[in-house]
Amino acid sequence: MAQLTSPQRRINWVPYALIAPPLIVMALLIVYPASLSTWDTITVVDDNGGVRFSLEAYRNFFEAPRSLPNLIFTLQITVFTVGALFLACFPIAYYLRFARTPIVGPVQFLALFPLFVPGIITAYALLRFLGANGWLENILVSLTGWDGYVTPFPKASGIAIGLIWEGIPITILILTAGFAQIPNSLIESARDVGANRWQVFTRIILPLVRRPVLIVLTLNFLGVFGSFTMPYLLGPASPQMYGVYMEQLYGNTRYSNVQVAAVLMFLISSVVGLLYVRSIVSQRLEEGV
Amino acid sequence: MTTIREDLTDRTLWAEFARNSGRAFRFMLRQDWFGLSMLALLTLFILGPMLNVFVWAFTATRIRPPAILPEEWGLRWWIATFERLDVIEGFTTSIVISLIVTGLAAVICLPAAYAFARMQFRGRTVFLLSFLMTNAFPRFGLYITIAVIFFRLGLVGTVAGVVLIQLVNTLLFMVWIPTAAFQGVDKALEEAALDVGASRLRVFIQITLPMVLPALSAALLLTFIGTFYETQGAFLIGVPNVKTLPTVMITLINHPITQHGAVLSVALWVPSMILLIFSQRVLRGGSLAAGFGV
Repeated sequence: MAQLTSPQRRINWVPYALIAPPLIVMALLIVYPASLSTWDTITVVDDNGGVRFSLEAYRNFFEAPRSLPNLIFTLQITVFTVGALFLACFPIAYYLRFARTPIVGPVQFLALFPLFVPGIITAYALLRFLGANGWLENILVSLTGWDGYVTPFPKASGIAIGLIWEGIPITILILTAGFAQIPNSLIESARDVGANRWQVFTRIILPLVRRPVLIVLTLNFLGVFGSFTMPYLLGPASPQMYGVYMEQLYGNTRYSNVQVAAVLMFLISSVVGLLYVRSIVSQRLEEGV
Repeated sequence: MTTIREDLTDRTLWAEFARNSGRAFRFMLRQDWFGLSMLALLTLFILGPMLNVFVWAFTATRIRPPAILPEEWGLRWWIATFERLDVIEGFTTSIVISLIVTGLAAVICLPAAYAFARMQFRGRTVFLLSFLMTNAFPRFGLYITIAVIFFRLGLVGTVAGVVLIQLVNTLLFMVWIPTAAFQGVDKALEEAALDVGASRLRVFIQITLPMVLPALSAALLLTFIGTFYETQGAFLIGVPNVKTLPTVMITLINHPITQHGAVLSVALWVPSMILLIFSQRVLRGGSLAAGFGV
């Protein structure tokens, strides 16, 4: 007994007391709501107070005619936006890392600029610029006389444009950070042994940026999938992305439906969320936390 | 040097300069066609909308399509926008809520960051990494499950409800950046001060704190700004009683008077731009991405 309470074996509670508050906040505001919603959607309470397993809430949810089309629409927009963001930003990030021209600076400034613009201002600015009778249309008409411009708002393409505008800086930031970790010496030595540009790219650069690419794809998926402001302000009334759909269900006090929609979102994005956490964790562990 | 200046006043030289720069541009285009086309595209796509908002904010009358510039410039709508009651109230609400959230986040997270950086304990790494959870959910899906609970608790439409939902966003940032800052403090300096007889408190205040202050203030600033502009949580929980400025902005976006939204955008955006550039300087390169867990 004396040995168990000796100073070496005693746990120091001070650090645990210090880290407890943010962990408790996380438990109350993330773990609890997510778990409660999951529990609520898979159980029903009988008349006599007993709780039993039931998927009735899900059947009820999908009986609403818009639930399935909205889900498909949400996934389509998400996949498209994440893909478009990546295809647009990967070459720019590659350029920012390897080009040596005076234009690199301005391109980087412009690409990171949206980081300093709050989403709500972005939505307003895009509506004015790309909207009907907006600047772009007026510029096209005055310069070329062509008046066939069609505004992307409020349409699916409008949502994608808003989310891409918002997503460019962080995508570029993560990808350039990934490219920056590739030492020049590695590329030079590959060149020395006779590798051409394409071989350097596919055999050396691509394998080394696998993790940042995975981080970007997963982070953007979660961001777009769980977005509300852009689809709410720029998107069509029907079909809706799930953020907007849930807000509407919530406004109509259909809380059971809201919970089912949220749990479905969690389920669909769980693999992506885990991949995101795993790649950041492995990166952190390598760097030493 | 004087001869060069005199030469430049010569018309023929100007013509040659123009020819040369044309040649230089063509050379650049050949050398760096990708960079130039990206520059052009990004200028149009990124700066175009921003510039458009600035023009609208200083439009006294209107922009008659297909014109690009207003018929008359002026500051008329600045006064009109800031006389709107919802804007005034929204501004006060936003400032108060952002201050509360930032203060609360600091009280909750900073001691934890100190513990993560300076103390050894079982499960330290797991606990530190667990804050990634805040980023691993589709944001609005999480918010709406919180909203369902807040409705049952009567927190919808209250300042407390908005503060709590906005707190979720701040945790990762307010734990990770200060943790890195505390880790960056050279322990040898503190030990030296302890050796010459300074108390622990004095060492913390006079040695540790000044060294972490830049990063701490940047984290606080970014938390404040991020909270000030946070839209979806405040909109979902606050309406109809608590309206932050972004919530007011939502109602102004399709207002018949375009200038209201433009003035508010410019007024709101300029200070945040200055503050963010300042804080980016304080935080060493790349730290801005830390909020995304990178």
